[in-house]
Amino acid sequence: MKRFKSIAAAAMAVLIAAVYALPAVPAYAATSASLSIAPKKNYVIEPGKSVKDKLLITNLDSKNPLELSLRVADFTFTDDTGTPKLFLAQDAPQTTWSLKPFLTIPESVTIPAGGSKTLEMNVAIPAKQGAGSYYSAIVYSAGAPNGGNVGLGASGVTLVFTSVPGQVHEDLKLKKFGIYHIATPNENADYSFISAKEPVNVAYTLLNNGNVAEAPVGSITLKDMFGHTYVIDNVNPNGSLALIGQTRTFTACIKLKSQDVSFSGTKTQAATCVSPGMWPGRYSAALDLFYGQNGNETQEILSNTSFWYLPGWFMLLCLVVLAVFAYVVWRAWRFVRKKLGYQPKRSSHNK
Amino acid sequence: MFSAPAAAVTRLQDRGLFMLSTEPSATTSYTLSYQYLSPDPVGSVDMLFCMDPIPYMPCDPPAGLDVSHAVLSNQTGDTGFSILSQSTNHIILTRTPTSPTAAGNSSYTFDNVMNPSDTSTAFAIRLKTLGTTDGTGPQIDVGSVRGQATNAIMLETQVPPLLVFCVAEQVADDCSSTSDSYYKDMGTLGPQSTLTAQSQMAVGTNASGGFTITANGPPMAAGTHVVDSPLTPTASEQGTNQFGINLVANTAPAIGNDPEGASTNAVVSPGYGVPNEYKFSSGDVVAYAPNVSLIKKFTVSYIVNSSKDLGPGVYSTTITYIGSGRF
Repeated sequence: MKRFKSIAAAAMAVLIAAVYALPAVPAYAATSASLSIAPKKNYVIEPGKSVKDKLLITNLDSKNPLELSLRVADFTFTDDTGTPKLFLAQDAPQTTWSLKPFLTIPESVTIPAGGSKTLEMNVAIPAKQGAGSYYSAIVYSAGAPNGGNVGLGASGVTLVFTSVPGQVHEDLKLKKFGIYHIATPNENADYSFISAKEPVNVAYTLLNNGNVAEAPVGSITLKDMFGHTYVIDNVNPNGSLALIGQTRTFTACIKLKSQDVSFSGTKTQAATCVSPGMWPGRYSAALDLFYGQNGNETQEILSNTSFWYLPGWFMLLCLVVLAVFAYVVWRAWRFVRKKLGYQPKRSSHNK
Repeated sequence: MFSAPAAAVTRLQDRGLFMLSTEPSATTSYTLSYQYLSPDPVGSVDMLFCMDPIPYMPCDPPAGLDVSHAVLSNQTGDTGFSILSQSTNHIILTRTPTSPTAAGNSSYTFDNVMNPSDTSTAFAIRLKTLGTTDGTGPQIDVGSVRGQATNAIMLETQVPPLLVFCVAEQVADDCSSTSDSYYKDMGTLGPQSTLTAQSQMAVGTNASGGFTITANGPPMAAGTHVVDSPLTPTASEQGTNQFGINLVANTAPAIGNDPEGASTNAVVSPGYGVPNEYKFSSGDVVAYAPNVSLIKKFTVSYIVNSSKDLGPGVYSTTITYIGSGRF
């Protein structure tokens, strides 16, 4: 018994010594919040079939591992742009276009510093599923540590769209069409009928009353008062979508400049709107849009509008020309009166 | 702002295209259907396959498409047509000129058509009915139908689209490193002071749809005591309860930076780009790019003010920034 006590005491002493000798474990292990993911996935899947795909996730942080939890969330539109509104609450009701029941992904992944991992994902459409568009988002969340007054969390999102072919209900209604000034940090985007700035964008707003996300195609033709024509031959170059129920504004550059840029070691084309070199005056615009899923009626939307481009310098020039013209007329009138012998009236107190 | 659509008096009605297989470069069947509108005798139908559906625009043939070996295998409604001529992207049907009699749609099925190879864009068939038997002379009705080759897995571009995103108190311009710090102690709240903090995030994408970043989180609170946030851009005012953010350089108080990076496509959202004015509403878009954008770094400034009546406690919040693609 005495021997056992001495052994136990020695063991305790070693344990205590070891605890003190070991380096302190930090309360919070450093993790990465720096990732690269696919922003969007598109599938066309017939009822009763499935697609297996891969999600490539890269940890861009060269020092710390990236710990991500994955989940599927439904989304809709935020406004008339392509910004998704995610339903992140755990108890959020499922949307009618939800892909949640058909989409399978892993729940978590840890990616070493500077490394990549490929995850399996599966989209399986039941045999009796109706035709239409189904979409949800994969949300990758990096853990947000607790502490301080302001904590930071980071999440990446992949939007997943699946089209189930067949007879669908398609109904786009044109709500607006005209020149468009895009948003700036101080100003919201809006259409205008008279523009002091040279227009660089034309836009059209469509309301989608159908049961399928639509990506219209077509062209816009602008004509000035002198017959010059500006043609936008691709009014939806990014393949942007009007989601189910969305009033979506599609913008197109009157003149587009594309250039190759290097992004993460690969070449890609970046497009920006540039000055189309328009002259002041009145313009007419004609819109011709087409949409329709495979096997469904191709529908066409036609519209015409007009707008004025009246820059400040042009208005000033008009005022100067008008003033010069008025002055010339006044001088001519005075000259004619003088020639005809009219004397200017004198005021009564000078009589 | 816009006028009513022009009357489609010369348009073929109820036009549609069914591609039996939409796989790129597959040899398959196309069924074209439409309703003749005009009662004039039709002797030929011109079908031109182009990228652009608009009849008066130049015709770029869809890459990979080939209808030169197409066979007219079935026709319903107004029938009696045969192929007069065909090339890679052009078919002319002919028959003895006859006034259309079908009450509904007529359909024409072509076998042995090779699909376009490009899945990224739609193509069109420009249709034109004519009174002559050889596809010449004045047109009677016109119209286009739309089609698109699709893979089960559609690739957006040759280079896979990527979204690069990082968040921390400080981040490198290319997200290759961060300060590993994800929270900030701002100090002690009081009616005579404005507490400040800042964080950074960098974002970029080669996806043509661009990106969007939203800021999500509850208002700053300690138990049931809450520091409300202005919902419109508002100047920092000591002695009032305020928690707000913006993404530009400020002088009152001196905090933050303007966005850094070469990209001109990536911008701060309206409301979060006014110097010295702050707001916060959970779920708001704080920055976005409508197109491809090289990596751009945004500095987020946080301000907190408190009134003398604010209840005691440790006030905190967690703001989660969500980077996503656009649709």
